[in-house]
Amino acid sequence: MDILIFALVLGRENMGPLNARLEGLKGPAETGLNTLCFREIAAVVGEIPKSGLNTDRDSAIAYAAVIETLVQQFTLLPMRYGSAMESEEAVLGMIGRNYNEILDNLKKVEDKFEFGLKVFCDSVKLRTEMKEKTEAGALLRPPVIPAVSASVFREYVNKKLMEHRLEEMMVNYVDSIIAEIKVCLSLMNAVTKFRKALSEAILIDAVFLVQRQRKSELLDAIRLLQEKYPGLNLMFTGPWRPYSFVDVTIK
Amino acid sequence: MMDDNVVDRSKDITILELLDRVLTKGVILTGDLVISVADIDLVYLGVKLMLSSVETMEQLKLGKARLKE
Repeated sequence: MDILIFALVLGRENMGPLNARLEGLKGPAETGLNTLCFREIAAVVGEIPKSGLNTDRDSAIAYAAVIETLVQQFTLLPMRYGSAMESEEAVLGMIGRNYNEILDNLKKVEDKFEFGLKVFCDSVKLRTEMKEKTEAGALLRPPVIPAVSASVFREYVNKKLMEHRLEEMMVNYVDSIIAEIKVCLSLMNAVTKFRKALSEAILIDAVFLVQRQRKSELLDAIRLLQEKYPGLNLMFTGPWRPYSFVDVTIK
Repeated sequence: MMDDNVVDRSKDITILELLDRVLTKGVILTGDLVISVADIDLVYLGVKLMLSSVETMEQLKLGKARLKE
């Protein structure tokens, strides 16, 4: 059997409650769970067949369910699905080699939740509105290009220039929303990560790490943002475990 | 009203977001430390996940999905 690692948990003093909580819980391989402890860090593990773990939706949900259950009581770093090693000794050796880095990350996420915010829009409609509404009529007016004899060439250049300017306006628009979010969150001591313009539909994909007790403040800030941008659709999810804020790659 | 719907707890969205996190984020074991799951399986599952989310994403884009608790 191989050893599947679900999460790395903080605190030797948590061992009793942690083991009690694991009673009766099962992972995706339907085997029981236990802990492997190295100083202040415990790994929550379960056996899986050497043939491997099923990579399907139900197994991934069962895996996540274990993490979701534990995080109600304990500070932990969730492992990516499928993280397995060949023996318990190997797992303990891994924790030992990466001890300081793991511990730093655990302390970084202690008492904090992750929340997600995706900003959706109809970007075709948005671009059209930008073109029509803003004073950018002037900005988007094709410049005079003197002494160009070929009108096809001139039209091409003007078209490209207008596209570039419109793209610039979109980028500035997205940046302005991100700046606004950052201002709101600066008061909450939140850690933030943003990804921009992922597709025609998703303008922004953001994640925030905030203290548990500031959840309602964050929610209020998002509500205000939605009121300010009624043409956008904000999808706010959470609380999640700190999946996106785990800055450690185990060697 | 958007006030009641800002926090998304609809089941489909929750599962998609959860699976996205479990499969693509979290602590990573490098190289040959990961021995149980083939990358191709994860890619396949990721693609399935993405395809199933397209319809939801389209609705969200057009503001038609009103998110409910």
